[in-house]
Amino acid sequence: MASYASDETISRIVETYSSMLLRLACTRLDDPADAEDVVQEVFLKLLTARPSFRDSEHEKAWLIRTTLHRASDLRRSAARRNVPLEEAAQAAASQAGSELLTAVRALPEPYSAVIHLYYYEGYSIKEIAKLLGVPAPTVGTRLARGRERLRRLLKEDDA
Amino acid sequence: MNREEYKAAFDQISFSPDFQARTQALLRDCLRESEKETQKMNFSKPKKLAVLLAAAVALLAVSVSAALFLTPADVAARLEDDPLAAAFQSDDAVALNETAASGDYTFTLLGMVSGEDLSALPAEYNGETVRDRTYAVFTVARTDGTPLTEQPNLSYSPLVAGYHVSAVNGWTLGATCQSFVEDGVAYYLFDTQNLEMFADHTVYFAIYEGSVPDPALFPTAEDGTISLAEGVTGALFTLPLDAEKADPAAAEAFVQSTGLEFISDGEAVGPENDAALREN
Repeated sequence: MASYASDETISRIVETYSSMLLRLACTRLDDPADAEDVVQEVFLKLLTARPSFRDSEHEKAWLIRTTLHRASDLRRSAARRNVPLEEAAQAAASQAGSELLTAVRALPEPYSAVIHLYYYEGYSIKEIAKLLGVPAPTVGTRLARGRERLRRLLKEDDA
Repeated sequence: MNREEYKAAFDQISFSPDFQARTQALLRDCLRESEKETQKMNFSKPKKLAVLLAAAVALLAVSVSAALFLTPADVAARLEDDPLAAAFQSDDAVALNETAASGDYTFTLLGMVSGEDLSALPAEYNGETVRDRTYAVFTVARTDGTPLTEQPNLSYSPLVAGYHVSAVNGWTLGATCQSFVEDGVAYYLFDTQNLEMFADHTVYFAIYEGSVPDPALFPTAEDGTISLAEGVTGALFTLPLDAEKADPAAAEAFVQSTGLEFISDGEAVGPENDAALREN
């Protein structure tokens, strides 16, 4: 029960994983503040639920999956809130973004997660399969389809 | 698109410069709160124990108990929870008196009761009061009859067949426990979020040497049944819950709320894999 109950562990997990998880949450969320909320929530969950992990890879996989899950939940609930168009436009304008970011966020979650872990974090297909708990061929398929969709989305933006 | 382009786009996003400091402070506050809760669980505050021991000595001086153990109602009353003592005497309470021996110890699950607002001390979990709870009373004694002088170093947890032991257990369910030693026997009053929502599954109560439940301590068979690993000192009782009181939606919502629904012994289970199966 004490595996996450120390100041040293808190420093370690926050320093090791914050940047990675914040960027990962931004594959689903437009607002960096929302991503910060999600990542704090995930760390709190780790502290209170105190799951036991086989090793640091297992710990990282849990954090990645939980972050994706929470970020998708928040995105769904934001969509349900029916944000007025003017407000949405203002929010979009205030966000540091690019066509590429917008296109990644427009991908279905299974694709954007794989694309991000491959292109930003530099993981191999095999490593991503382990982190997400899906077969390697599925990761390969998602990577190929995700790339193709991204290419189309970015072309549409250019047109 | 290449890696550099992709990285540059994501590196443009600016987060709060103090995010890590704020997060560490938040987690440390949470840790301190959780430590306070743990102290409550251990119930080993010297003052409280002294009062309980004095009460036990005074009682022994004037009477000799005919029963082998205190009843669950007695245990709740000793712990100054009269409403719960009354609940253990109500028709809703279940007397179990089941015993198992393992290692040096004999474990006896005396009884249980579930319901809303049964206790004088409603439990808090993550800052929320959880009034709807299951209470269980059990004892631990040395099998060779040597009296215990202090509580053995044991853990206790409900587990539910069909759910991963890391997702549904005393830690995720916000369980607390109070205990005292009397006549060489350790008495425990355990309480947790109401377990009746899981009543359409086999619900276990584990008393064991070890920490947070994991598959090494509690292997799960293919049909979802859970057992205690060989060589682990402990007992795994089955709780007789009324299947009609099951609430599968609440149970599912609870498991989702733990954020641990993806965990499995080997390959992950859950929506991610379901999606993979659909794709392949």
